[in-house]
Amino acid sequence: MPRLLIVEDDDRIRLSLKLALEDEGYAVRDVGTAEEGLAEHKATPADLVLVDLMLPGMDGFDCIRALRRLGDVPIVVVSARDDTHDVVAALEAGADDYVVKPVAVKELSARLRALRRRASGSGEGDQKVLRFGEIELRPEAGEVLLGGEQVHLTRTEFRLLCELAEQSGRVLSRQQLLDRVWGYEVYGDERLVDVHMGRLRRKVERDPANPAQLVTVRGLGYKLAP
Amino acid sequence: MAALGLRARITTVFGLGALALSASLAVATYELTRSSLLDERERAAVRAAYLDASFIRTGLGGEDPDIVAALQNLDTGEVRRPLVRREGQWFARSADNGLTTAIPPRLQSLVDSGTPAVQRVPLRDSSALVVGVPLSSVAASYYEISPLTELERTLGVLRNALGAVALATTLAGASVGWIVSRRVLRPLASVADAAGSIASGDFTARVARDTDPDLDKLAVSFNRMVDEVSSRSDADRRFAADVSHELRSPLQTLSAATTVLERRRESLDERTAAAVDLLTAEVARFESLVTDLLELAKSDRPAERRPTDVVALTRAFAASRRLPPEVLDVSGQAAVLDVDPRRYEQVLANLADNADKHGGGLVRIGLEVAEDRLVLEVDDEGAGVPLDERDLVFDRFARGRASNMRGGSDGTGLGLALVTQHVQAHRGTVEVLDRPGGGARFRIVLPGSPS
Repeated sequence: MPRLLIVEDDDRIRLSLKLALEDEGYAVRDVGTAEEGLAEHKATPADLVLVDLMLPGMDGFDCIRALRRLGDVPIVVVSARDDTHDVVAALEAGADDYVVKPVAVKELSARLRALRRRASGSGEGDQKVLRFGEIELRPEAGEVLLGGEQVHLTRTEFRLLCELAEQSGRVLSRQQLLDRVWGYEVYGDERLVDVHMGRLRRKVERDPANPAQLVTVRGLGYKLAP
Repeated sequence: MAALGLRARITTVFGLGALALSASLAVATYELTRSSLLDERERAAVRAAYLDASFIRTGLGGEDPDIVAALQNLDTGEVRRPLVRREGQWFARSADNGLTTAIPPRLQSLVDSGTPAVQRVPLRDSSALVVGVPLSSVAASYYEISPLTELERTLGVLRNALGAVALATTLAGASVGWIVSRRVLRPLASVADAAGSIASGDFTARVARDTDPDLDKLAVSFNRMVDEVSSRSDADRRFAADVSHELRSPLQTLSAATTVLERRRESLDERTAAAVDLLTAEVARFESLVTDLLELAKSDRPAERRPTDVVALTRAFAASRRLPPEVLDVSGQAAVLDVDPRRYEQVLANLADNADKHGGGLVRIGLEVAEDRLVLEVDDEGAGVPLDERDLVFDRFARGRASNMRGGSDGTGLGLALVTQHVQAHRGTVEVLDRPGGGARFRIVLPGSPS
């Protein structure tokens, strides 16, 4: 049973989400503050974390940054705020996905499943190595090297890179990437793709402002140059 | 003048001022020069004529003198033409070239009566001075004609020079006006720039303070106004955000809790199950109502345009709704257009919902994409919308016959109002027509660029 940690200061929301997500098959622990959440995650690492942005004491953004420093656990923001500013700031802080309240439990659960998925192409067992310029990708080992040095990617960043690598040289639209990485069935938030692409570029590009490999194709989407 | 801008007017005034000044100076200069040159010329001509006349008088002294010979003996330079009139007859050095007719009769009678006279007369293309000297002792009149060609040429050159100077001065005046007006209007230009930025949502724009106390007043009061407006708009935004938060939070609890109930529906008795169904449906309606209301509250913001593959977006939407492929009718040369993808998707979703809930079902989504705009048509197979209610259906919580008929309990009554807002944010148009073959056709035109 995947372990899910809910960090939410509103007792009723927290309890209702706990009940509903337990029905979906998660082992849920719930806390009311970021500080408790961090302590809980350190004691028993969760497989997934839901975080509200407006929290007493340490706020959601700092909570995400602190969780990110501890590892690459998938983090989903569940917030009543839908300003572009908040969405981008939360994603920049390291969140993997962002949903606005009220979110249907069915949808939330689909998002959580997508984030738990392993990178595609895995399970074949052989040690496939893909090269794109200075980037070296080992999908099975879950490793990425830049100029021979290992780079640490979050699970979502890694999957984004793998999806692009699988279609190397071809353009993938933001919508297609949302579909493949985040499991969005309907039209989703394209800012999610853009912010993650920015994060990925900062990690695997020598000059993130002028990417050599992860190229934007205006109006169409992104591609990974071979 | 009313149609001219302030800057053009200032320039014109400067130009006209310079023109008036330089033209009057030029005219005065010309007139003074001309009269002094003419006076000088006249004095010289008179002096020469008297001298020549005295020679002629001597020459006519004897009995039956040879007047022509006397005239030919005169040293009159190249230009002066001597004439003698005696006993009603004209004498000249050579054949008369119409010189005698140039002498006005009044001058002749004056001279005949013994008075010397001088007059300026027209002669061929130019003019000439005629000096008449009575030779009473020999009963004759002496005339001398001095053409003024040279003088007129000089005056012509002067006229041209003065005209050129006046023109140059006028142009210089106008350019000074143009430069000065730019300086004067610069604060207005910076206020206009700032106002433009503010209109497009950038409340950080301010006008730089000016060293000129008169202009500084403008900058200060403008900036104070912007502070005021932006703090009010901040307060509005904070309020909207608070309202949004306060409405969304309890809905999250309701939504998650009803999901828990719904999951156990089978194990509930009939009455409880019915109550859970009602609860679930109403929570869903309340959810979309709040979402639509909050969306409507912020939909007057400018569209966040970005290059968007609207064809792919429409196909993805159709796929997510499990629409049969023949419903989608895509045509046109282009696919990528500068629109707000989130708003476009909501337009599509709300029109499709409207067709499903009130129009007897969606039968066609027509999308035609050109370089600069897209035309989206959503057709249903309902009863259509009567002519007199075609504007009303786009109102918030539309309450017309059509909307009652369309009524039901599913819709929020905000879907088409949101469509209108999204379309207006793109400066596009929305209208409802009859679909050929029955039903309604909602037709959206979105321009692909902000202009």
